[in-house]
Amino acid sequence: MPQALVAKKVCRRYKWRGGHHDALTDVSLEVPRGTILGLIGRNGAGKTTFLRIASTTLLPTSGEVRVLDHDVVTEATAVRERIAVIPQEARPFYWMTPKELVYYYLTMRGESRADAAAKTKDAIAELGLNSWENTVVNRLSGGLRRKAMVAMVMASDADVLFLDEPTTGLDPVARRSVWEAIRKATKANRTIFLTTHYLDEAESLSDRLALLEGGHLLASGSRADLAGRVRRPYRVVVEGGFSEEELKSYGEVGRVGDRLMLFTGENEARELSKQALEKGVRLSLGPVSLEDIFLQMVGQEISVDATEEDYA
Amino acid sequence: MRENKLRSVWAIISLNGFLPMKRSPLFLINTLTSPFSFLFFLLVVGGSGYLIYGVSGGMVLTTLSIGTSLQGDLTHYRADLKFQEMVVATPVKEGTFVAAMALSELVYSIPGMAVFVILSFFYAHYILFGGVVILASLILLWIFASALGFTLATYFADVRESFMVAPIVSIFLSVVPPVYYPITRLPAYLQPIAYIAPTTWAARLVQGAMGITPLTLPEALLDGGILLAAAIILFLIAWKKAQWRET
Repeated sequence: MPQALVAKKVCRRYKWRGGHHDALTDVSLEVPRGTILGLIGRNGAGKTTFLRIASTTLLPTSGEVRVLDHDVVTEATAVRERIAVIPQEARPFYWMTPKELVYYYLTMRGESRADAAAKTKDAIAELGLNSWENTVVNRLSGGLRRKAMVAMVMASDADVLFLDEPTTGLDPVARRSVWEAIRKATKANRTIFLTTHYLDEAESLSDRLALLEGGHLLASGSRADLAGRVRRPYRVVVEGGFSEEELKSYGEVGRVGDRLMLFTGENEARELSKQALEKGVRLSLGPVSLEDIFLQMVGQEISVDATEEDYA
Repeated sequence: MRENKLRSVWAIISLNGFLPMKRSPLFLINTLTSPFSFLFFLLVVGGSGYLIYGVSGGMVLTTLSIGTSLQGDLTHYRADLKFQEMVVATPVKEGTFVAAMALSELVYSIPGMAVFVILSFFYAHYILFGGVVILASLILLWIFASALGFTLATYFADVRESFMVAPIVSIFLSVVPPVYYPITRLPAYLQPIAYIAPTTWAARLVQGAMGITPLTLPEALLDGGILLAAAIILFLIAWKKAQWRET
């Protein structure tokens, strides 16, 4: 399958007086054309830094990124002709309507008036923004504002869309409506590069996932690939009947309120189920979620305390 | 899609110029307040004889305010809205963006400038080719002000910082320089300082072209040459400072 994005040993170092911080270290990644890649990681993991390098707004310190076969450093113009970006925390002009936002974004990219008008109409309709197309952004909810921004890039002729944390700060309903918009944006052979620290978002939208932690790529592939890489692919939750010490012989144990949670292997999970039946203890068991995979790989929970800028 | 400069420029002028003005006339009123306040002040204090200084100064200050507005808008679009980052990842090139932004700020100046031009027909005694001299001076001042606004905008990560600097720049470029009065009114020790500001040379040209102060051809060429040099230098600095991509 042809690749939309190929990154080889990408490093980015931020220097300041008396020190430096490596925001990215030797990140290598491939994103096939026509797929959605979810780049996940905690705040400050390097997601935005990678996205900004790939979308030609930041120079790498070393390494190579090619988008649609063009080098992002030496062939930036060729890359820019075929990409569109919604940066992290981007906001639309508050004095414009969704229709104007899309129309003028397309005209600015070089579309003729007629084409821009036709594409604007389609994008507005496709994202269900018809009722608000002539309402100034100031009067729209956060979700509708984000949808208007998704409509801008979606209406463009860009082959690769970069969306940096497109739903941060939105309520669950608004998030889902933006997800729907993103799914619709995946037209034939269009690639979407999405960064998020919401694992449900990544799981719901992405064909492939890449996990960044501390500027290092820990894993990439499909969800099944990632699940296959963790040593303990089953999650068991028990309510009483077992001591923490007993469970430790089966795997990695944690406490969730009154209950004990265990990541374990298939055979151990079978054995525990058998024992729980014998003891009459309530036990729930299933394959690990993406969050569990993340916890096992990173070894910590996702924190929203830090921001990418803390490291920039 | 390849860059289409005309379409890009038109789109940016529309979204930063016509549309905000259409939605909120306050944008327009804001740009008119300073020059018309000075005009009013001069009329009240100096009488109708000083009105012409208010008109010539108004033309200079209105043009200069383009740079201040550009500085604020560019900082806001880059730091707050992340619009500049969106534009970088399009076929639009940095030169097109900056030129379009500078042109879009002109939109706000047009109504005020029209009023000053009309007033000048009643109060000025234009010299031969005076209109050409004024037009050339204001174009050079527009380039200077836009390049200055662009350069200053690159220093600020926050729009509030940017707004704090604007009045300071304004004092240096429009209060100390003889924009609203002849340079001879300035104390002798302040005159050399005033000549540092390119607005002094623009004001001398405009005042001379309107017949307010004497202006010979060699003086006009000297003033124009200095203004041109200032515009070129600031343009080159702005070009060097242009960071379309963060390094």
